[in-house]
Amino acid sequence: MPPVIDKTKCTGCRTCAAICPLDVFGRQSAGIRVPEIRYPDECWHCNACVLDCPAQAIRLRFPVPTMLLYTDAPAISDG
Amino acid sequence: MITRKTPLACDVLVAGGGIAGLMAAIAAAEEGASVILAEKANTRRSGSGATGNDHILCYIPEVHGEDPAEWLAEAEASQIGGYNDMDMFRFYVTQIFDRVKQWDSWGIPMRPHGDWEFNGHAKPDHMRIWLKYAGQNQKPILTREALRRGVTILNRTPFHEIVTNRRGEAIGGVCVDLNGEAPAMQVISARSVVLATGHTSRLYTPKTPAWMFNTANCPACSGAGRAAAYRAGARMVNMDLPMHHAGPKYFTRCGKATWIGVYSGLDGKPIGPFVTKPTKELGDLTGDIWMGMFAQKYKAGEPVFMNCRGIAEEDLDYMRWGLSNEGNTGLLDHMEEEGIDLHRHMVEFHQYEPILIGRGIDANVRCETTVPGLYAASEELGNFRADMGGAAVFGYESGRQAALSARTRTEEDAAAAGTVEQCAGLYSAILDREAGPGAPDWREINTAVQQIMTEYCALEVRSERLLSVGLQYIQRIQQKAEQMACTDCHTFMRCLEARDLAQVAELVIRCARERRETRGKHNRVDYTFTNPMNNDKFVTIRQEDGRPVTGWRSKNK
Repeated sequence: MPPVIDKTKCTGCRTCAAICPLDVFGRQSAGIRVPEIRYPDECWHCNACVLDCPAQAIRLRFPVPTMLLYTDAPAISDG
Repeated sequence: MITRKTPLACDVLVAGGGIAGLMAAIAAAEEGASVILAEKANTRRSGSGATGNDHILCYIPEVHGEDPAEWLAEAEASQIGGYNDMDMFRFYVTQIFDRVKQWDSWGIPMRPHGDWEFNGHAKPDHMRIWLKYAGQNQKPILTREALRRGVTILNRTPFHEIVTNRRGEAIGGVCVDLNGEAPAMQVISARSVVLATGHTSRLYTPKTPAWMFNTANCPACSGAGRAAAYRAGARMVNMDLPMHHAGPKYFTRCGKATWIGVYSGLDGKPIGPFVTKPTKELGDLTGDIWMGMFAQKYKAGEPVFMNCRGIAEEDLDYMRWGLSNEGNTGLLDHMEEEGIDLHRHMVEFHQYEPILIGRGIDANVRCETTVPGLYAASEELGNFRADMGGAAVFGYESGRQAALSARTRTEEDAAAAGTVEQCAGLYSAILDREAGPGAPDWREINTAVQQIMTEYCALEVRSERLLSVGLQYIQRIQQKAEQMACTDCHTFMRCLEARDLAQVAELVIRCARERRETRGKHNRVDYTFTNPMNNDKFVTIRQEDGRPVTGWRSKNK
């Protein structure tokens, strides 16, 4: 479901849409400041848009089915 | 009807702008060639190295000794070994340190902590062969270096088809420009063509079936180079042998060797024999050596965890640094948001779906395929695999060789070839068909291919009966793919990908039928033994007179 753009921080430079390896943003309409995200389910979680956003306006929200599975770690023991 | 752009011409056309493609373009330009690089997305952040890598297979004489024999034995016995032509590997040894020094001079930190530092993917008391580096910005840096050398980069212009002349020689390629409102065909005449479209993802159902793009390697790499090479008559090799990665279950990412921990069960008992505590120098090799561990433990009712309990704070920092350079900043963000603390939590790992890496186009040590004028780089190759290092060495070498051969070849007009009209017909048909419930979209075709591959050309069970009927099913999907429709540039691109995937799937099944034995993860339940007669022999496939022909060739020792 990622990326999520903070509209108050976004400057409309469209770097994110230009560099996304999966074209998650798709074709952008003219005259719209904050990029549209047309294909959110094709995100690869590579974080390129987060890393390269000059306004630090983007975060990824990971779809629930992709969540890390974790539990309490016992001490590692051969015994 | 597809729009046609004015054809372009160059000495060397590079298909794909990942690490290998950029290195090929750089090397070709350094040899004085005019170079056009066609990239599906944007070379600044595309391919499996998009947001980084933190380890590269490297031989340094001053670290490993003047004789590379021990290093080579260690590498060939590792998870990337087994199906490599050894002349490729010996050449790799002579080149990789030069490429590493080149990257360092361009600003990719190859010894970010001072000395050359080899850690991870390692056995206790054995030579360590993986160089740690800080590759988060490798793609923007290599893009800058390519541009500095005069390379023309066409972003959003995926490569689709190789154009050959009457003698069967490569004379250019057909790409699709996706920068406009609608796709436009871009024909490029070239004296040599380098294929560098990466591995093949999206061939098998992923761990999260509803999230097809949740894959370890870049899901944009969908077999364009392999499919085009086969159609152009190039020989493919090792397509039958399955390979898969492992990592955090459901959060599919590469980089298991960047984790510093111990594979343990729920009780904290180490599963493998290599380490009993988190060790920065070694990692835990169990997941590399025992590829079936996760599936076998699961069948025994045991989940497998990456247990970092007891890790030193500085080693945890080192691991975070590694993950941030391995393209895993998203994973780090997710752990922080979820409150996952590796001092007290452990993360479940599992094996991922198979991909094609080190299984693909057959090329010699000069990266020449069996089609004159056609070169293959790095992850396109079926007879060599070294991941990031392979991209550096054989990317560079493919570009250099393509440029040298371009000097001896005359330019021919690719736009006049019949292949171009066939492409135009195909593109127009996809564009002109009405999208909607009356025609399959790309996702239907891609999902159908994944289903068949997962059940009929599987990791666990392969047999003549399953493979032969699976082949029929894939061929039927290929027919249905001819009825696909798209809605825009984006889905047009995905339609071509789905078509290529169906083509590559057929090749994998045909090659899997040819190998009537069990070997590695190629588990033939109708031939359960490993036939020593097939040791060091590779299955090949090529198209002759429009028909697929499988065969065998010996491994180059």
